[in-house]
Amino acid sequence: MPSWPQNPKYLGKSSQRVDGPVKVTGAARYSSDIHNNGWLYGMILRSKWANAKIHSIDLSAALNSPGIKAAIKVREDEFIAHFYGQELAAVAGTNKQACLDALALIKVDATELPHVVDEKTAVNPDSVRVFPDFPNIGDPRVRENGEVDQAFAQATTIVEGHYTTQIQMHHCLETHGNTAHQQGDTLTVWASTQGVFSVRDGLAGNLEIPQNQVRVISDFMGGGFGSKFGPGVEGILASRLTRQTGLPVKLMLPRYDEAKAVGYRPSSFQQIRMGADADGKIIAFEMNAFGSAGYASGPSTAGGGGRAGFPAPYIYDIPNTRVRQAGVALNSGSARAFRAPGHPQASFGMESIMDEMALKLKMDPLDFRLKNDTHDSTPAEIRRKEWKLAAERFGWKKKYRSPRSSPGIIKTGIGLAGGTWGGGGRGTQAECQINADGSVELRCGTQDLGTGTRTLMAMIAAEIFGLEPGQVTARLGDTLFPPSGGSGGSTTAASVSPAIHNVCHNALKELREMSGVENPTGDNWREACRKIGIQPLIAQGRWVEGLSSRGVGGVQMAEVTVDTETGVVKIKKIVCVQDCGLVVNQLTCESQAYGGVIMGIGYALFEERIMDPLSVVVLNPNFETYKLPGAQDMPEIDITLLDMPERGVIGVGEPVTIPTAAAIANAVANALGVRIPSIPITPDKVLAALGEVPNKPAASLAGSWGNFHKKLHWDEIQPAQAPEEGH
Amino acid sequence: MKAFQYVTASNTERALQLCGKKDKFLAGGTDLLGEIKDYVSQPGRLVNIKKLPGTREIVETEDGWKLGANVTIAEIASHAGLQKNLPGVAEAAALVGSPQIRNMGTLAGNLAQHSRCWYYRHRDVQCLKNGGARCYAREAENKYHSLFSGNPCISPVVSNLAVILATLNASVNVQRGKKILNLKMGEFYMNAWFNPYAHHSLQSADLILHIEIPVRARPCVYMQVSEKTDFDWALVSCAAAGELKGNTLQNVRVALGAISPLVHEVEEANEFLENKEIDRRTANMAAEIILREAVPMEHNGYKVPMARAIIHRTLLKLAGKNFDEKIS
Repeated sequence: MPSWPQNPKYLGKSSQRVDGPVKVTGAARYSSDIHNNGWLYGMILRSKWANAKIHSIDLSAALNSPGIKAAIKVREDEFIAHFYGQELAAVAGTNKQACLDALALIKVDATELPHVVDEKTAVNPDSVRVFPDFPNIGDPRVRENGEVDQAFAQATTIVEGHYTTQIQMHHCLETHGNTAHQQGDTLTVWASTQGVFSVRDGLAGNLEIPQNQVRVISDFMGGGFGSKFGPGVEGILASRLTRQTGLPVKLMLPRYDEAKAVGYRPSSFQQIRMGADADGKIIAFEMNAFGSAGYASGPSTAGGGGRAGFPAPYIYDIPNTRVRQAGVALNSGSARAFRAPGHPQASFGMESIMDEMALKLKMDPLDFRLKNDTHDSTPAEIRRKEWKLAAERFGWKKKYRSPRSSPGIIKTGIGLAGGTWGGGGRGTQAECQINADGSVELRCGTQDLGTGTRTLMAMIAAEIFGLEPGQVTARLGDTLFPPSGGSGGSTTAASVSPAIHNVCHNALKELREMSGVENPTGDNWREACRKIGIQPLIAQGRWVEGLSSRGVGGVQMAEVTVDTETGVVKIKKIVCVQDCGLVVNQLTCESQAYGGVIMGIGYALFEERIMDPLSVVVLNPNFETYKLPGAQDMPEIDITLLDMPERGVIGVGEPVTIPTAAAIANAVANALGVRIPSIPITPDKVLAALGEVPNKPAASLAGSWGNFHKKLHWDEIQPAQAPEEGH
Repeated sequence: MKAFQYVTASNTERALQLCGKKDKFLAGGTDLLGEIKDYVSQPGRLVNIKKLPGTREIVETEDGWKLGANVTIAEIASHAGLQKNLPGVAEAAALVGSPQIRNMGTLAGNLAQHSRCWYYRHRDVQCLKNGGARCYAREAENKYHSLFSGNPCISPVVSNLAVILATLNASVNVQRGKKILNLKMGEFYMNAWFNPYAHHSLQSADLILHIEIPVRARPCVYMQVSEKTDFDWALVSCAAAGELKGNTLQNVRVALGAISPLVHEVEEANEFLENKEIDRRTANMAAEIILREAVPMEHNGYKVPMARAIIHRTLLKLAGKNFDEKIS
């Protein structure tokens, strides 16, 4: 069984990013930087209707427009464009303005159809239907465990709540898109992607060309968060345009278009009831929930993963549970996987009702967690340690007061929440080339989303060869390299690291035989390599068992102040305690945690897509009106990583963003003595919850849609399948 | 954007000659270029006025201050004389946008900037203000909109500097053809109160030359509440100016932004505050007067308590009192 070194020089410690210098100097070429004189720009015409039958599209005026080299339709037949922003046609031209001008000349003959763009309207039985033959909200997926009704009858304390989470946009700093170039029989695509191989396969499939005639490159990319697995419609259009013109076509979406058709985190509307016994043990849980992933959940180009369901009951050990969940169709672009799909929604609803129950039981929320976080699973076992460790670092016992105890107008509150994630990963292959001068080149068809994969590869090789990470050149992001999977689900580190371990040991074995040097590492490296000769040593390797695992827990605690007169929430501190098995690079691992917490802060307080039912557009398609937190909104963030080398590499990108919003919401409730049941927690909602806003009862924040659950008659639907195991 | 001509004017006369009815003056461009790129504005010609002589200076005069139209927001925020003598002016400037916006944006541009209403600015919507048939905000998403309006459009004035300048009785020096106009803040925005298409009272070829503040030093304060700490618009902004005599305030003026197409001033409140000691009670009574006629929409009712709070805090700060966190 392979194993990680016992006394590592680099693993578990901080290594600077090997690509740090090229990134900060601007020398790193992201997909959006790939451009040369004479290359074409591509742009997309999108539907301005929320729902419309597209009869025909006339490209002739656009084709005759100055600078335009090609214009194509997304579809040739008559079809229904189901949402505002759906792709209709595309042009390629010599400059961006020529493309913009040409788009304005395309004539679309369409008949507008009735539409519905918000969940609360769409769930009404008499709502306009997105698909005429189906109700917008179908039968829920029902999961049942134990004897729920009986357990509620036995419960001594019962709490009920309604919680809502908003649609959150990915808004990667590098937008979606690519540059495509057809030369001879090879289509080369520089894509901003989380999966070079999935883009390759998606393009080959859509264009009906062999996979060996498509090469996809992603040297550097500026964020994906789950929204960049497939080529996307924009990728297919760029490839069609280059195949038609014979010239490279750069098609990167403008920021304006990012709000329309490239995914988001689905909304959720959760009605939860929970019962506990006199001892403070939860014995019954019932949830009805719906959310929207748009007009359809995850078309083939999006990489899927964007459905509106989420795990429930989340993380806590409850013997009797009934969960009914459904998706609601809307005339809106589709959701896509978004960093820990489903879990932040799950955590927000669950941890909110947990605090309500703790309050009613007159228990400290931390003690109530410890009493009920009792699953017999590795994440739960780890989390039980993490609750205590976080409480120490945060000073929970000293800081905790009952709700609204803080005096004055600006009130302080604290809150906590937990999470879990699978992670893990397998299947990566890699190649190691050792040259006679001692230089090392690693090649792996994974991609570095900015998380530090390149550095991780170099560190592992340096560790095994006894070199400095700087002596190793790690190459990735190219389908000419040995295959690896998409970088999603926090699987990259756990999938790539064992392959690098394996290929380096294979290379070492070969070097030993070739050079006759018994231990060619470290000081002996140069001497051994000199015997390689003209043809470099090339070794292959692949992911092997024993160097990685899956399943993590994590907890976070938040301290906030809430101004009860202005409604403004400020976060003072977040403590994050997270495990991820073997920490490969402390520095980039902490960076992941910072990023996850920051994203969670955006989810808790600021971000929300506003889809306007009246004008049917996304009203906030830019960073002025889609509010992302800034540097001054950041609190002190205290990260503790549990380094558990014995578990191998797991991955950390996703779990660190899960509990943040729930912990903040609980802290706000603790400060105010009243809960804001709906994120983002903006000043208007705080003031409404405090009863300060004329004509706006606090109950309207989450309550008004609760009746829809009754109208849906979900009570009459019986569970169809065996329940899933808990977390 | 649509193609346009670009010319640089070397003096005021030339600038006025070059700017026809469909043309625009260009200074910092932080507002106008956004409108052009979003197809909200399609000028035939941009007349660059950055080089107009005498428009980049902040001058202390016999009886006040003269601030050139092209003085940048950053220059106002960091001006030692203003920080010392008219602190609210520097505070209001410091809270504008981001460092980049403050470095590029100018004083005149801050005053004459157009509505930030998300319907008005949207490429795929044609709202009333932009020549369409209806004010969408009135019927739908009006969280960031006005509590007061004299016309069907409910987009509010969002200039920080207008709010503080109103409390200092400043006037905007405008060249209209051969005439020079001196517009007080009330006059400067009056058209926007009556006319849904107007953002202010300027006509297309009116050129702001400078702003006059008729006082050299006066205690004045500017505060705002925003969702984000930095680089965000005020949900409600408030300024107050006045002299402290013993425990009471004299010559008090209070003004609010982001709740009306005008800088919102209520003379009765100023009169009420005259010679009053500022405490929670008097401040709240002033706020009641100031907000009495407010007409909240479906999503902006929160601005009423928020405005009350910010009026209270602004007045307390002006009176030299700390905003006491421990009162409940």
